[in-house]
Amino acid sequence: MGQGRFLGLAYLSPYIIGLLVFTAIPFIASLYLSFTDYDLINAPIWSGLDNYREMMNDRTFRRSLNVTLIYVFLTVPLKLAFALFIAVILNYRLKAIGFFRTAYYVPSILGGSIAIAVLWRYIFADQGLVNIVLTSIGFSAVNWFGDPANALFTITLLRCWQFGSAMVIFLAALQSIDKSLYEAASIDGAGKWHSFWHITVPLITPVIFFNLIMQMVQAFQEFNGPYVITGGGPLRSTYLLPLYIYDEAFRSFNMGYASAIAWVLFIIIMVLTVAAFWSSKKWVYYAGDKRS
Amino acid sequence: MKKALYLSVAMALVTGSAHAENLRMSWWGGDARHAQTQEALEVCGEKLGHTIQPEFTGWSGHQERITTQIAGRTEADIMQINWPWLPLFSRDGTGFVDLQDYDHIIDLSQWSDEALAGGMVNGHLNGLPTSDTGRVFMFNKTTFEEAGLEVPRTWADVLAAAPVFKEKLGDNYYPLEAATLNALLIVSLVVTQATGKDLIDPETTRVAWTEEELADGIQFYLDLVEAGAIRSWRDVAGEGNVELFETRSWAEGRLAGSYEWDSTYAKYADPLDDGQVLVPVPLLQIDGAQTEGLYRKPSMLFAISRNSQHPEAAAEVINCLFNDPEAIDILRDSRGIPANRAAFERLEAEGALDETIVAAHQIIEDGEGPVVHPLNEHPRVRAVFEDNLEMVAYGQLTPEEAAQEIISGIDSAIRSFR
Repeated sequence: MGQGRFLGLAYLSPYIIGLLVFTAIPFIASLYLSFTDYDLINAPIWSGLDNYREMMNDRTFRRSLNVTLIYVFLTVPLKLAFALFIAVILNYRLKAIGFFRTAYYVPSILGGSIAIAVLWRYIFADQGLVNIVLTSIGFSAVNWFGDPANALFTITLLRCWQFGSAMVIFLAALQSIDKSLYEAASIDGAGKWHSFWHITVPLITPVIFFNLIMQMVQAFQEFNGPYVITGGGPLRSTYLLPLYIYDEAFRSFNMGYASAIAWVLFIIIMVLTVAAFWSSKKWVYYAGDKRS
Repeated sequence: MKKALYLSVAMALVTGSAHAENLRMSWWGGDARHAQTQEALEVCGEKLGHTIQPEFTGWSGHQERITTQIAGRTEADIMQINWPWLPLFSRDGTGFVDLQDYDHIIDLSQWSDEALAGGMVNGHLNGLPTSDTGRVFMFNKTTFEEAGLEVPRTWADVLAAAPVFKEKLGDNYYPLEAATLNALLIVSLVVTQATGKDLIDPETTRVAWTEEELADGIQFYLDLVEAGAIRSWRDVAGEGNVELFETRSWAEGRLAGSYEWDSTYAKYADPLDDGQVLVPVPLLQIDGAQTEGLYRKPSMLFAISRNSQHPEAAAEVINCLFNDPEAIDILRDSRGIPANRAAFERLEAEGALDETIVAAHQIIEDGEGPVVHPLNEHPRVRAVFEDNLEMVAYGQLTPEEAAQEIISGIDSAIRSFR
């Protein structure tokens, strides 16, 4: 028994060590650093709540927080709706459906990479593919990155384009719905739209909830897209909080302040996650759950 | 690489060296610099019996990388450091090894006193400059000739070229490109020329310019945009976060000039389409300029980590890279025109220096201007300046409002990190 326990711990040790070194210790250290003045070169100096007080009067922080919230509230519903839409289509028994399922998943594999962000930059550049198409069909070219009103939209689109992982999870949920429910509804005269809203959606609410949480957390952590495509501009219109944290920590030598911002971001994510869990009691249906 | 390792070991055994060390060296640059530096390191490694692991990246992100390494005490033994980073990494001069302690290994007599002063912090020689560099204007001679014009020598020439470009070449042709950092540097240049002063007063470490002087400089930039001499900030941003020399507009000569470090001439000249010629010209000046306003600084200093376990071996490698004839021949002008006399004289005698790069550097040598304070390039100083300038460019602030914000913001930033 003792040996078995040791063996189990040995198998787990790579994960536990990784968790401690790359997540838990930096997590706790960042909390401590958020109460210090730390320039990365000299030892941290305890500064109490100074960093958090500074944040209250920091225009860049407020701007960045606003941009981040807009980005998250735009991206998450759009991405989930699009992923569900495609999943519903791919749930039909079409010819070469396997190919289409793979093809639609591919952007998710590539989507987070720097290469795709660079490609996105070329596609939406002034003389990029999108503007070439627009002008060829009689529209005016759009300044996608130079106009603050458009820049965030292009970054949002990149994230929505990476809908594959959410789509696959939706697809699995759709396939697990008992077909007899649709047959019964059909006999009772329900149309497809009616069946979708009253059978499909309620039955996949646990998966919608799961995807909502995952996508929200990931959206709050977005870095690659705006860093590569716009550098956070113009007028900081794509300057998401992770970019600000990065700049403060590694460009401005202000790791204490960067840690404080990271903790505020963490608290925002936690509050929204708790709110989502609380609201889930009212709209998420678990088959066999006595609450429902 | 394996061969170099074996040779290094063999050399160490043959020469009876008791200190064959494993070292690391980091730098930023382009492909040519990477290849030349690696080759020089192999040669020096073989001669000295050390192995030197190269760590190289592009410019973008290099400071962040070095910062992280220094914070974690995992930095390379030998580092290529940007001059404005010295006060960041070494406030009191102890952030790097004092190279004066190794003057029995490194031949410091090959640098002028002025060049060595550039690497000093608080009396400690923290780095040795590979060259000195400054901003010069570079114009695409071919495009100007197509428009029937000479390459500009004055700001009036630039302004006059704008309508001719539009008329003869097209609406998307501009005699000069300046947005983001370069817009900031153009504003700085004209205010320096008008006042004879650098942005930072070395005595008070506060902004040396008045709000009126800075507002005039910002207005000058707006006038250039208004005249069609440079693209608007909005149009430049429309290309995305991309370097000028990577754009088709630059390669095809539609953007026919820029204000860049003389040492980066090749980076801007090489991507041009066949037949296009880029020429460096002396600084354009405003009427009544009190100074030429040359923005000049020591360039790419080689420093030794204070955490290095083998500072003597690192000093040997640095001496080899700077003073060894074979290494000099390999490195040539990969870091600009060498500040080291032995290297410069050897390359000049061999005719190994690119004539245009020498011409660009001569502009720096002949130019004059107030001493540039390292805080000019502090990230927070730059951010305050650039953010407010961008707001002017997008019509959200007037030049007067921006000047007020920039001066108070920079003074406040300097106070906070002092």
